[in-house]
Amino acid sequence: MNPFLRLFETPWIWSWLASFIVWFLTIMVTLGASTIGVSQAALTFAAFSVIVGLGQMFVITLGPGNIDLSVPATMTFAGTVALKLMNVENGMILPGLLVTIAIGLVVGLCNYSLIKALRIPPIIATLSMSFIVQSAAIWTNRGLRIKPPSALADFTTSNTLGAPNVAIVALLISILAWFLLEKTIYGRWISAIGQSMPAARMAGIPVDGARLATYLFCAVLASVAGYLLACFSGGAALNMGSEYLLMSIAVVVIGGTAVAGGDSNVPGIWGASLFMFLVVSMLNTYGLGAGIRLIMTGLIIISVIMLAGGRRASIR
Amino acid sequence: MTIRKMILASAAIACAAMPFSAFADTSAKKIALSNNYAGNSWRQAMLTSWEKVTGEAVKAGVVAAADAFTTAENQATEQAAQIQNMILQGYDAIVLNAASPTALNGAVKEACDAGITVVSFDGIVTEPCAWRIAVDFKEMGRSQVEYLSKKLPDGGNLLEIRGLAGVFVDDEISAGIHEGVKQFPQFKIVGSVHGDWAQDVAQKAVAGILPSLPDIVGVVTQGGDGYGAAQAIAATDRKMPIIVMGNREDELRWWKEQKDAKGYETMSVSIAPGVSTLAFWVAQQILDGKEVKKDLVVPFLRIDQDNLETNLANTQAGGVANVEYTQQDALKVIESAK
Repeated sequence: MNPFLRLFETPWIWSWLASFIVWFLTIMVTLGASTIGVSQAALTFAAFSVIVGLGQMFVITLGPGNIDLSVPATMTFAGTVALKLMNVENGMILPGLLVTIAIGLVVGLCNYSLIKALRIPPIIATLSMSFIVQSAAIWTNRGLRIKPPSALADFTTSNTLGAPNVAIVALLISILAWFLLEKTIYGRWISAIGQSMPAARMAGIPVDGARLATYLFCAVLASVAGYLLACFSGGAALNMGSEYLLMSIAVVVIGGTAVAGGDSNVPGIWGASLFMFLVVSMLNTYGLGAGIRLIMTGLIIISVIMLAGGRRASIR
Repeated sequence: MTIRKMILASAAIACAAMPFSAFADTSAKKIALSNNYAGNSWRQAMLTSWEKVTGEAVKAGVVAAADAFTTAENQATEQAAQIQNMILQGYDAIVLNAASPTALNGAVKEACDAGITVVSFDGIVTEPCAWRIAVDFKEMGRSQVEYLSKKLPDGGNLLEIRGLAGVFVDDEISAGIHEGVKQFPQFKIVGSVHGDWAQDVAQKAVAGILPSLPDIVGVVTQGGDGYGAAQAIAATDRKMPIIVMGNREDELRWWKEQKDAKGYETMSVSIAPGVSTLAFWVAQQILDGKEVKKDLVVPFLRIDQDNLETNLANTQAGGVANVEYTQQDALKVIESAK
């Protein structure tokens, strides 16, 4: 088979194709004058979806029923606590980041403890955990918005060689995730667990260890995304994570990862994240009403998933 | 003690003002707040105001209890169940910020039938037996365009930031803005995005549409989204348009910075979260036997160039510019409706 056709066999190509078409249609409104603006905005905002999407992808890889619904609450909590701790001082950036990671680790640990020790299904365990975490965020500072330290605010909102810094951070995290998934034994383990947990257990894979590590990884990525988003948008808000619940799941699915688990890919997360931002921008640019916009968003997402899913069905 | 005196004094004024009203004692009455959402700074300020004002009222013996309850999921069904619980718990009045204008009507009717006074505010209900403290959202939208027409007599292109799609308040403010544009045809809305009243969502939406827009001279908003729009526009090399703000502290602070740096001028308009306390006093007055019209209108809180500093100083960091209402304010609102 020639390499060009083989490219169409990859599960992530459809999300990339879709985002390219949408990008092209958006910039054509101004006959190309908005190319740089649209591209930079897309990369910036896709970066946050990429970071949370990667974590969610690892969890979904673990197989049917595995999902982390505490992502938005974790983002909000990490953002509020870190900004409160840093209190606009540049010297506190590192402690702020460390606390952020610690919050992620604690939430991840609690999530998996509920799932394992109390045998609660992940969807319920992480949802109830998200109530606790969200309440903690409300309780910490009652919606107070504290500005990020100036150095961090500048870093998150500026570009390096034309590429937004947050996108570069997301790219580095993606490379790490790709390495973990494709090149390490851990990546093989979680794929094996996703395909069949009993088989993985019999094969001597440390199932609980791998699952715990995955929930920790997801929660840490969510808290880091919250930290960056809070600094990017000039302060944490209590509802800042809310749109990332559906977003984190949508980018995984559109990116071509198997919802049933055991088969994931990193590039698809990027394609899907860019697509999710661009499709809203495109429909806004064409000035369509909110109702039509939501229907169109839904239809476009369904068709992308159908294309990606149709391919898989024809192979199996 | 001073608080007690103040309340006694206002009660005395109330007595003096209405010699003909039946004056029942409300000191044994219990009032509950049914709130559908607590996840943003406006709602947090609303709850804080409620706690502060009703706490003092309870201490002073005006009412026996004024408890606040918030549902976890912002669902009408959940709030209906909450109201049914309040009926069983024997509250005398329910002050309500409703998740839906119609979906709670059944539960509200049950409460009315049980002899409970229901006062809805902000998120009002259409059930006729309940009282409504509404904001003239249309006027709030229209006044923004009117302000812009004074600042920019030549007109120009506007960007509209809307709220949460499908919510009554969003439709009303937007209708007001479009009415304003009809009234001042030198303005044209060239783009419209939904910012969900959250600044990070607004920032994202504006950053997405901005590269495709022609020059814009003004941004009309619904509150909570102005700072996000400012951030998105500041990231480009566009000239900063007049962004109408929505009384959030971050918006006011940004405005102040711009005002000091380059004489930036705008205005800010929204409803004060303390409207919950107005609803409380109205409920108390109804329990007191006062005749109150079913539909009351609360004025919105507007901040202009000259009173920016005072308002900013009075606004808690990260909060919303707020006014807490007194019993007298409630009486004034009740009187003006007649």
